[in-house]
Amino acid sequence: MNIQRRTSNLHPRIAQRFRSGVFVCAGRMLLALTLCALSSSSLFLSLAIADQTTGERIYRERCATCHGQHGEGAPDGYPEPISGGRSLAQLAGLIGKTMPQDSSEKCSGPDAEVVAAYIHETFLSDSKQSHRSPRIELTRLTVNQYRHTIAELLASLRHPARWNDNRGLLGYYNAIDEKGDGKRVLERLDSQIKFAFGPTSPVPDKMDPKVFSISWVGSVLAPETGEYEFIVRTENSVRLYVNDRLRPRIDAWIKSGDEKEYRATVRLLGGRVYPLTLHFTKQGQGGKKPDQPNAPIPPASIELAWKMPGRLEETIPQSRLSSIETPETLVVEAAFPPDDRSTGFERGTSITKEWDQATTDAAIEVADYIRGRLRDFAAVPELSAEHAPGVREFCARFVERAFRRPLSPQQRAVYVDAPFASTPDLETAIDRVVLMALKSPWFLYHEIKGESAKEFNTASRLAFVLWDAPPDAELLAAAATGKLATTEDVSAQARRMLADPQCDAKLREFFMHWMKLDQARGLNKEAAAFPEFDAAVAADLRTSLELFLEELIRSQSADFRQLFLSDVLYLNGRLSRLYGVELPADAPFQRISMNASDRAGILSHPYLMATFADTTSSSPIRRGVFLARGVLGRTLRPPPNAFVPLPPALHPDLNTRERVALQTKADACISCHGLINPLGFSLERYDAIGRIRGEDNHRPIDASGFYRSRAGDDVRFNGARELAAFLAGSEETHAAFVEKLFYYCVQQPIRAFGPKAHEDLRESFVRQDFNIRKLLEEIATRAALVDRDQEPLTSPVKGT
Amino acid sequence: MARGIGRREFIRNIGVSTAMLPLVMNLSSLRGDDPPKRKRRLVILFSPNGVVPQTFWPDEEGDTFTLKESLEPLAPFRERSLILHGLCDKVKGDGDQHMRGIGCLLTGIELYPGNVLCGCSEHPAGWSRGRSIDQELKHFLQSQPETRTRFGSLEFGVMVAERADTWTRMIYAGPNKPVTPINDPYQMFAKLYGRMKHKESLASVLDGLRHELQSVASAVSADDRRLLEEHATIIRETENQLREMKTEAAAAPAPVVEPGVKQQDVDMPRLSKMQIDLIVNSFMADFTRVATLQYNYSASDATMPWLGIEGRHHDISHSPDTDEKAHKNLTKIDRWYCEQVAYLARRLADTPEPGGGGSLLDNTLIVWTNELGKGNSHTHENIPFVLIGGGLDFRMGRSIKYPALPHNRLLLSLAHGMGHRIDRFGNPDYCGDGVLPGLSG
Repeated sequence: MNIQRRTSNLHPRIAQRFRSGVFVCAGRMLLALTLCALSSSSLFLSLAIADQTTGERIYRERCATCHGQHGEGAPDGYPEPISGGRSLAQLAGLIGKTMPQDSSEKCSGPDAEVVAAYIHETFLSDSKQSHRSPRIELTRLTVNQYRHTIAELLASLRHPARWNDNRGLLGYYNAIDEKGDGKRVLERLDSQIKFAFGPTSPVPDKMDPKVFSISWVGSVLAPETGEYEFIVRTENSVRLYVNDRLRPRIDAWIKSGDEKEYRATVRLLGGRVYPLTLHFTKQGQGGKKPDQPNAPIPPASIELAWKMPGRLEETIPQSRLSSIETPETLVVEAAFPPDDRSTGFERGTSITKEWDQATTDAAIEVADYIRGRLRDFAAVPELSAEHAPGVREFCARFVERAFRRPLSPQQRAVYVDAPFASTPDLETAIDRVVLMALKSPWFLYHEIKGESAKEFNTASRLAFVLWDAPPDAELLAAAATGKLATTEDVSAQARRMLADPQCDAKLREFFMHWMKLDQARGLNKEAAAFPEFDAAVAADLRTSLELFLEELIRSQSADFRQLFLSDVLYLNGRLSRLYGVELPADAPFQRISMNASDRAGILSHPYLMATFADTTSSSPIRRGVFLARGVLGRTLRPPPNAFVPLPPALHPDLNTRERVALQTKADACISCHGLINPLGFSLERYDAIGRIRGEDNHRPIDASGFYRSRAGDDVRFNGARELAAFLAGSEETHAAFVEKLFYYCVQQPIRAFGPKAHEDLRESFVRQDFNIRKLLEEIATRAALVDRDQEPLTSPVKGT
Repeated sequence: MARGIGRREFIRNIGVSTAMLPLVMNLSSLRGDDPPKRKRRLVILFSPNGVVPQTFWPDEEGDTFTLKESLEPLAPFRERSLILHGLCDKVKGDGDQHMRGIGCLLTGIELYPGNVLCGCSEHPAGWSRGRSIDQELKHFLQSQPETRTRFGSLEFGVMVAERADTWTRMIYAGPNKPVTPINDPYQMFAKLYGRMKHKESLASVLDGLRHELQSVASAVSADDRRLLEEHATIIRETENQLREMKTEAAAAPAPVVEPGVKQQDVDMPRLSKMQIDLIVNSFMADFTRVATLQYNYSASDATMPWLGIEGRHHDISHSPDTDEKAHKNLTKIDRWYCEQVAYLARRLADTPEPGGGGSLLDNTLIVWTNELGKGNSHTHENIPFVLIGGGLDFRMGRSIKYPALPHNRLLLSLAHGMGHRIDRFGNPDYCGDGVLPGLSG
């Protein structure tokens, strides 16, 4: 590795801001058209006077469409505010060379200089930048948060159990007598449900092998949100209940035909625990027990498996089962329009008719659900006038939990008393309370300025940041008793909450998002080139990556740098031979320390390498984009056109690296690809499925690359290991990770939390030895303690 | 529609969710211009445990026949009835007579082997191997826009046992896919009219919500206020649209349902009436064109104290032919079921077809059937099939005696009558020469 210091003449405060974002060339195709139309105003060019007025005019005419009138960014152009610490000369050079995008000649020379001066003075001077610092916006719950909130709201009214270490399901084994009645003969914890009893009895001395029954009871943890397919295999009778105690998901109590496999799909929210019961019997149904003493004993077996979203089928592992009993969770089915992701992360910043309709549909679902289980919720035997007070009390509790704070007398009047006064029918009153509460701004928005219950706001912020869900009972209790006032109080709660599976789920989602894997389902490679790579291998690779991340996140040190530096690769039998390790063909996943020169954490993980690749060849560009954007936090504009990688057949004498260089050598490309390509080239040792290779197109691999830092340092590296060492130690990487995690969890820009928030968090990340969980604890604590009820420092600069 | 907005889009714009669409689409003022074709409806009623042949079947054939004691309640509809004698459920295979009786009645195909043990020597059975005719027709009608309805089919029950096994299930969505009928009229009411009630509730809270949004908006910064104002605008629009819809919805009002009726044998007459009223309302609102109503279940041990009968239906049905008292009681039971059929016919006849074209009965065929020909012999010969109404263009007012034809051919006739021209239904071996002869002639 070779670091060569080139320039370091930056003002220290500007250098600091380099980390929080950089002025970047950005624009969009359609912008270019607008600007072409404007070019007839070239009159201005000849009259160019290097003064502020001209600079401003040029800015408005050629820049503002993308960057906003006040440099704040535009949703259809470049969404981020103009920021960064380039010098005036650097800025002018950059604009002259690259702006406006795709017609950079429209603003060069003196134009570029005057507009740069205007931008520098207006948007980039220290005072101006802080004036324009983004504010904490009013936001509503995202769709994901909405679903979690409903789930938690209803669960909280029924005393949910906490996930514990009691892994497996509790099995109740019953003998069946002549009259057909069952008698429990054994109770034990079964780690997973996969038994081949054959013609024998599981409890030989106490259970007749011809006829017995077993019930397994407990809960199942869904690590992520999505459609789970539950599969039961048996030649006997079964009923499977998942998150619904009234209706079985699989009802094969009546055995019919030669079906031996039953499937049911259930939508589950990640990080939550769901009740699961599996009844199994070898007994015939309905009529009399046939009396055939000498008939051969039919075999019995049972397996409970599942298919997690986008994953292969597996017996439900012990790690996802618990013997705790927990109430059902309502997973709302109403179809919400997707949230705005234009800033890279989901945010609840728009209100549309479709969304409003979905909130109505969801509220009706909730009302129906509650009315169907009123005994459970309101603890009243029936809906009669004498139980009306109990029902009303329940409704008040419901609204209070929905609002995540105690009700004011006025709120109680509006949300509880008024609906009850509007109808004599109790069912209708419940409907109206639920509709009113769940369509209320107090429920739908994260928080509303000017609320007095400060510590309840803190509780909500903490819960949404860490869980995407509302505060649990413990957090609400802390808020109610004044135990969320200090940083220490809040940190302590954050620590507790970090241990909950909901936080694991959120971190898992963050990593998938960060690595752009959350939208990438189905990984295909050309069969001719990679005959061994099929859907099973792809799914296994995903599992392998998740096991790696899970180990890292859950480890004591949770060291961010190990994301790059670790030599661990999780492999099973199927993957082992493909990736150069010898394991038995049916070996389960295991942690393997690879040769450190071959593997470097996620950087060389075959799942990422295969994802950031084409169907036949590696893709230094996609790898480089991930490294530049995702890891180093650089902003890249989208390419001016959609490009297809040059087909290898067109240049049979070139290897991948050479083809990429050839395709991107044009000036319009190189401003970004000069950054992207040398990063991606350093991973050229990994082919399109992430295997190590020595050559590409019969030529030895050249895995040398370099990176020019924001401060102007040139860093050279060869191969993944050197790249990893650089990234793990780079302040840019640390700052980018801090910002991305902050934005993902808090859903507000980090700069809205004060000019020093980003740098403080980065420094503390360093102090805490790059512990990811500690970082998240600190992010949550900070975000939770910043009050929303202050006006932004000043309004954006108004046009003159 | 103005500016060429499609009807569906218009509906969407006025803030009615898609689940409400068919309901609203059936309101005449929102319909397109084409006059709708004549609707064809089918409703199948099931009562269990066979009949007493002597008091059930008319002696005569043709259009001059006398309704005997059990069928006497149909006298007002004699000219609109068709009594089919001589149809046999020829499906064999696993399961006892009761199980096959109910399980093959509307499916015309064998049961799978399974673990439901029979009282007798037959092999234990599972569910049916095929779809029942009502579900077949639902599938057919829902596949075409002009016959598509909100539900496609509705499955009513009266005191069907709260257990799912071969004796209690008549309807199958497909092989091994029994459909549970809805016993509880309140549950059915909620299914049919729940959304309408929810709309009313929604309308009742919107005003309060708007005020909440306004008061909250005044407390936030100007930038944040914009979001809340957008929100309030949407609420106000919904409010106005719901007000307009209310006027439209008055055209198909929900029925008034008697409160507090419990699921118990003694309340069977009230439950029966409530379910029949809901069927009529569903047809009126065009929620469905196909409905089934299953009384009890095969080998039902229901008691019928309101008929002055002691003992249980299934037990009594096993009495030998020589037991006069038992057969008198069984005739009473058959007659009571017939009264229910007649009540349905009466309600349909008294209800004008929405949009004109006679009465609902003119466009509906009632089929009343049973899983056995005779209770004590458990025969599958001469399965009762009594048809009333003009829905399928059969020539009514007749008693027909077939020479032991398989009942699959009637199922085919029902399909053809509903416009679904299939050659085979259930086990093809029993589909012979296709539809039954002489039904329409």
